[in-house]
This record gives sequence, structure tokens and C-alpha cells, in this order.
Amino acid sequence: MTTEFRASVVTLDAGSDDSGSLTTELYRRIEGRLAYPTDLLDIPGLLQGAILRSEHAHARLLRVDTTRARRMPGVHAVVTADDVPGVNRFGIVVRDQPVFCVDRVRYEGDAIAAVAADTRAQAQAALAAIEVEYEPLPLVSDAMTAEQQPPLHESSNLLAQERFDCGDVDKAFAACHVVIEQEYRTPRQMHAFMETEGGVAIPDGTGGIVFRVGCQSGHRDVGQLADILDLAPSRVTVEAMATGGAFGGKDELTIQPAAGILALKAGRPVMIQLGRFESCRAGMKRHPVVAKMKTGCDANGRLLAHKVDAVLDTGAYASLGPAVLENYLDHATAPLYRIHAYSVSGRLVYTNNGVSGAFRGFGGNQATFAIESQLDALARALGRCPRELRRINLRTVDEPGSRHQPVRWTVAPVDLLRQAQQSPLWTLQKETSGRWLTGTGMALGAQGNGLGDGLPDSGGGRIALTPGGRIRVEFGFADYGQNVGEAITRAVSKGLGCGCGEIDVVLGHSRGPDSGPTSASRSSVLVHGVLRRMLPLWKAAVRQQAAVLTGYSLDHLAHGPGGIFHLGQRVLSYRELAENGRLEELVADAAQDFPVAPGQEKPVGRYLQLQIATVARVAVDRLTGRVRVTDLHHITAAGRVIYPPGYLGQIEGAAVMGLGMTLTEDMPMHEARMQRNNLDQYLIPTFQDAPAQRVDVLDDTPGNDPFPVRGVGELGIEAVAPAITSAIEAATGVRVHKLPVDPGVLLKGIHRQENLA
Amino acid sequence: MNDLNIASNPVTFDLNGRTATCSVPAMTSLLDLLREAGAITSVRAGCRVGRCGACNVLIDGQAMPACLIMAWQLPGRRVETVEGLGGDPDFLKVRQVLAEESALQCGYCTPGVALSLVSGLRERRNGTRVDLAEAVAGNLCRCTGYGGLKRVLDNHLNPVSSRNTADGAGNRNLISGEPE
Repeated sequence: MTTEFRASVVTLDAGSDDSGSLTTELYRRIEGRLAYPTDLLDIPGLLQGAILRSEHAHARLLRVDTTRARRMPGVHAVVTADDVPGVNRFGIVVRDQPVFCVDRVRYEGDAIAAVAADTRAQAQAALAAIEVEYEPLPLVSDAMTAEQQPPLHESSNLLAQERFDCGDVDKAFAACHVVIEQEYRTPRQMHAFMETEGGVAIPDGTGGIVFRVGCQSGHRDVGQLADILDLAPSRVTVEAMATGGAFGGKDELTIQPAAGILALKAGRPVMIQLGRFESCRAGMKRHPVVAKMKTGCDANGRLLAHKVDAVLDTGAYASLGPAVLENYLDHATAPLYRIHAYSVSGRLVYTNNGVSGAFRGFGGNQATFAIESQLDALARALGRCPRELRRINLRTVDEPGSRHQPVRWTVAPVDLLRQAQQSPLWTLQKETSGRWLTGTGMALGAQGNGLGDGLPDSGGGRIALTPGGRIRVEFGFADYGQNVGEAITRAVSKGLGCGCGEIDVVLGHSRGPDSGPTSASRSSVLVHGVLRRMLPLWKAAVRQQAAVLTGYSLDHLAHGPGGIFHLGQRVLSYRELAENGRLEELVADAAQDFPVAPGQEKPVGRYLQLQIATVARVAVDRLTGRVRVTDLHHITAAGRVIYPPGYLGQIEGAAVMGLGMTLTEDMPMHEARMQRNNLDQYLIPTFQDAPAQRVDVLDDTPGNDPFPVRGVGELGIEAVAPAITSAIEAATGVRVHKLPVDPGVLLKGIHRQENLA
Repeated sequence: MNDLNIASNPVTFDLNGRTATCSVPAMTSLLDLLREAGAITSVRAGCRVGRCGACNVLIDGQAMPACLIMAWQLPGRRVETVEGLGGDPDFLKVRQVLAEESALQCGYCTPGVALSLVSGLRERRNGTRVDLAEAVAGNLCRCTGYGGLKRVLDNHLNPVSSRNTADGAGNRNLISGEPE
């Protein structure tokens, strides 16, 4: 069964969308008045901290002598592994990363010691005075052979492996008319947030400590930091400040452990901001993946068999690697398509190649690149249109997900495909001679919201009236550019019928409500769900007091702009209520579990699903092999849009990040050393590289849908890479399977094609 | 600090319309000077090699990265940051259109972007033909994908496109229905 096309299509436009509070917030940022964690330079007594990083990617640590450094001018504290008060280990999934190395370094950014001094220059000078003696060890620099090398941790270099099976895949391959086998490689992409990892640790004077930092989960970090600092969790406060970009790269602890230990030792506030060199070397990266895929279909193009063997390089420490592996494999099962039988397996290995962790897309986009390339290859082998091949294999809304789990789409996948086929980019004339070769291609992608796979996932919020009569809404989420505060403001304004200017949103405070991590595109879903529970509670409490204060019957009182209304007349302002009411009762808390499929004992994969179709137009320079993406047209199905400029910006921003991964971005390693150390070498897209983009939203979520809002922070990156390589193939006849696209390789392919012609 | 930086001579320059005097080592970057001595934190360290534009300031009206300007180069110069542009008509226009098109997300790079645009608009006032797409080419933004900034230029500041058209294939913008 296929659903008839009925969803409404809206092309998003950022202009003339203003809630009042939005302009105020944007002006604050444009005028430079929003202070980021690394701008907090006016804290009295602030010291500057710096971290000593390992010179070797793998070595025994024989001696760390800080004697000279301690005597350097301006130095207030020098700390090493001996000074870690509690557990010298951290990691969100597996605590395998030392705050400061003890007897062994495992990557060239590993932390060995840290210094706090009056100035940055003094701190750097003291670092240089720390004497370290290493005994180099053999490198584990190749993920493909890592398992055969001596282990970097207690047991083997195989940190995790997982496998999803469906049906008898060998039998299914035997029935195939066409089989495509191909290896795919994706790069070690760097987050390259404009504000490097940083923030401040401030002793509170009573033995506790406050962190004002760029991070993605204040509440979770409290637990890890309390263990490291040997403090009760109640003595550790984390303020997840608005930060200059994160994209997953600030999900794990960064500077917090070193800053905290220094601050406690010096008894003064300590700021650490990584320099860009240091951030390149020590910071998190996207997992590079090498995947062998084998996919087959019958003579009609129906997908019968699919096999995946993937190796993910997690580097020296686990961080979120095991979760990335799971999401990679989930996407490698081709969630959008019906496949008779599959066997999908992956291995996550330790190497000395830096540390890989969370990054927008979280393994999913790496898998989608390969899956969509496989479908194009099958279509080519069959002589069929790739869109038609997709159409006959797409799942319907009534089918379970690829792992047999219940899933909830917002529109039928085929509707999205149909919309993508109507993109104006297909009608552009193709340039086939002259310097530029142009072509159009597309890819589909699916992505789930939430942490998934039955992991504990819940979040809460709070609403209160302030003594001044303002509506204060608190969530634990961090704002790193997505402006979740604006989405909250709009939803509350709608729910209470009040102006956006009456609402104060407070985010990211570990003493406030725990909303869980700001990751996995989960914030919007939870905000919507929590407000749906919380606002009625608060409204009832407010009206109850309003009834007492005004004498009107409870049933005839309603919320409106500025306060409480009776028969269309405002009879009590929030300010009057705050002055005369019982404020302590005008507070409501609510929390909810992240939505999972009903009736599942152990949830598998993700229940709330989103989709995107990306149509790309490229121009390939026949002289240099360089690729320009001129246009990206996205069709998204991700539920209702509550904040159009935010939605548009998330899709556009993620897409250009995916464009970077496709065309230029990689952190190449040589003997386990990073070969790029700044933004003049590691090239992220500039204004001149940015394509024209259009975002069409497909939505037919009914008004009573329990989950009408989905999170779109990662959706835009899902299908960009295969859409671009598909367009490159349309332009040149050359299909690229390794990212980023190497212009030299592409040029060779173009020449080969032209010689054949 | 290394030996080059020992000498601290007083440096006098114009900062946001006021005379500023400070004694810092000659090789102190304007970036550090503004942030650490001047408490001007809209000027931000992104790369410290002049690539990202997050530390842009106006020097005698021209946008330049403060990380590459040293204290000894400052005497007699006019330095402006967004903190000092509250009444500047070009800045007010830029501020308005950046917000209107939601051309920013985290905002860390935005003061630098705004200064590149103000610098370009001022040059235009002086009769110079300025391609604003060139003017912002040195401003890296990791959040937005430059979509909003494109709309700012196309819809508000750059009605007659002067984008480089040397390579014919790359400049069609058919998605928005505006062939150039």
C-alpha cells in the first residue's frame, strides 16, 4: 500500500519571522554582548590554565618532573596524575581516558600535566619547563590491522563489535540477478567549532566548585567531575553556557577536569581555552569508517540481500564510540528500504589516532553515504532509473523498521521521493563540454530522534512566576547555536497566549531541572512533550490563585497576554499575581521519558523517525577536478515546524558541514600524528563554497498526533554526501567511493571516461 | 613572554572614538590587547593565524584580523569594534538585516562578519565598487552554512549582484529562481 500524496509543502524562509524576543537575542550576539565561556575574563582573581600534551602518539611515560615549572614566575599550581583527587578516568560510555596520563600515553594529544598562572604566556612558559621522559612504543596507526597489534588497553584493541541479522543472507544472494560489491571510506572530520574547547572552574569558597563551560550535558558532567574531584555531586555545579558551536565535539569532558583540579589546588578561578593547534590535536573527531558493502537485487530491482562489514576507528579512548557504532549499523541496515535478508556487522577498534566521538550524524551519515551509493550502482547495473529503483523498495508508513521495530514516520517515504523528483534542479541543462561539467543527483536519508536502543532517556523542565511577575522557564539543555531557547519561548507563548517578551528562558544549569544531554536531536521532542504536561499544571495553579484574588469563578478565568482574563478583560496581571499570590505554589515541574514504541520490552533502534531527500547540483572543473556544489534542494519530513528560522538554519548548516566532509574536510594522519593544525590547513567551507539552498518541508502530521515535533539538528547532514557524489557521477560518469573527493582521482576518472567515449 | 616582548612602551591610538593608551610589549597582538587589557570580548580568538575572521576589527575603517596586528603598529591608528558602532548607520543596517534573515546561530563569529560588511559598505560610500561576497570570504562560520548571509546579500545589501562570474557554471542560482 502506498499513501497518496497529500502532505502540504512549505518552502522555508527566514525573513519576516520575528517573535520580538528573537531580535533581542540576535542583537545581543551581533553586538558581541553575549559572553561565551572563554569571554569570562573579568572574574576576580582569574588564573589562566594550560595543559601539557603528549609529544608522542604512543609511549611509556617514564618520568614527569615539574620542579622547575613550579618555580616559574606567575605560576600558582602545577598538577599531574598524582594530584587527581579522585578517579583519574573519564568517558561517557567507558571510563577509559585518564585526566592525566600515569605510565603511558596513547595519542599525541594525551594530557600529562597542567599549569595555572597569572597570564597565558606564563602558563605556556611553565609547560615548557616540565620535563617529560618517554620511551616510544610501536604505533597502532591502522584501524584495519589494529586487532592484531598489542592492546592499547587491558584487553584487545577490539573495543566493541555488533551485528544485526535478518533472514538467510547467503541464500538471498544466491537468488540475486545483480550484486554490487564496493568499499567505502569516510574521513576523520573535525568539528571545527569557532570557539575552541574552554571555560572556567571557580572554587565556591566552601570546598565546592562551579564550572562555567561549553558542554552539552551539565547534569551528566556533574557525576563524572564529582568522581574525578572526589567531591559529593552536590558540591559540583555545571553551567552549560551558550557556547560557540559544539556539534558533538563538546559532549565528552574537555577542559573541565584539568581546570577543576587546578582551581581546587590554587584556590582561585582558572580559565582554560584550547588554542586551535591544541584543539586540532587533542579534540574529538568524527569516526573514520571503512566499510565493505555487498548488495543484490532481482531482475526487477527488488532488494534481496545486503551485507556490511565496517571498521570504525575510535582512536585511543572510547568516548561515545560504542553508541556511534550502534547508530552506524542501524543506518547500514538501510532503514528506508525493504531488504529481504541482511547481515550487517561492525567493529570498533582502538588505535593511537587521536580520539573519535560524537559528531552530528553520529555514524548514520557515514552509513547513508554507502547505502545510497550502492542503490545508484544497482540501478546503473540494471540500466534502471535510480529514483525508480528506490521507489519500488521504499518502505510504507505501515511497515516496521529495518530492525523489525515499530517506527513512526511523519509522511510516507515515497511522498518525499516524489517531491524530490519534482525539484527544479533536474530541469537544468547539463553542461557536457567546455571547462565545466554539470550534473544533478539525489539521495535519501532517514534519521531517528533520541538516544535509542533502550538507553535511559528522559528529560524535565520547570516553570515558575518570578517576584517581578515574569514567566521563568527552565530546561537543562545547552545552547550552542541552535537557539533552543527561542523554540521554548515560542512554545510557551503559544501555550499561555502571552507575548514572547514576558518569558525568560534559563538553560543548562545543573542545579535546575535535568533535561538530559543536548544531543541526538532530542531537545525539541522533549521540550514539546514536557511543556504539554507542565503548562496545564501551571495554568491550573495560577488560575486557582487568580480566582481567590479576583473573586471570579475558576471556570471563567483564562490565560492571555500579561496575565489572567475574565470574559475578555484582563483582571489580574502576572505582576499583581506575583505581588499578592503565593509564589512558592506558582511552580510546576514535569518530566517525561523520550518517546519509544509502545509495548516494547527492550526498545530497538529509534521510534521517532525523520526523513530527508537532498538534490544536489554540481559543477566539476575539467581542468583541476575540483567540485563546486552550486545548489542543494532539501525536502524534509520531520513533523511540525515551530521555529522556521531555526529549522532552516539547522538544515542549511548541517548540509554545508556535510558538503565539507564530502569535498575538503579530513584530518589525515601520518604515523598517528595529525597532519593539519589550524583552519588555514584544515579547510571548512567558506561563503564562496556555500551553495544556494532551498528547504521544502513536507508535513501532514494530524493535529492530535502525540509526537508532532521532531528534532532536526542532524537531519541536514544525512544525505548530502551521496547526493553530491551522485551529481558528480551525473556530471562526469565517475563515481567516488572515498571521501573527501580527491580532485586528482576524479580528474583521472574523467580522463578515462573521455578516452572511452 | 619571550625576549622580543620585554620592552613595554606606551602605545596611543584611537579606540572606538576615545584615546587609548596602554603599556604593553611591542609584540602583543591587538587581539590580546583588546580582550585582556581592554575588556573588549567581541573580538574573539578562532585561529590566531588570520584565517577565520572572528577577531576582525576596523583599522582606519578597513576590516582586519586583530590577531595579526601588533601593538607597535597601532600608534596613530583608528581602531573600531562593534562595541563602538552603536550609532553607526552602516552597522545599524547590518545589524538589522543579519537579524531579519537569522544569519547567525551561535554568534561567536558574527561581530567579525558584521565588521566585514560595515567595512564594505563604507568603501561603497566612497564610490568604490565592492563585492560583499568577497568581503565576507574571510569570515568562517561553522553553524549556518552561510544561508542567512546569502539572503542578507541577495535581499538587502547587494541587489545588483557583483559576484565573481569568471566560471560560468558555478553561479546559477536556479533554486531561488534568480538567474544571475
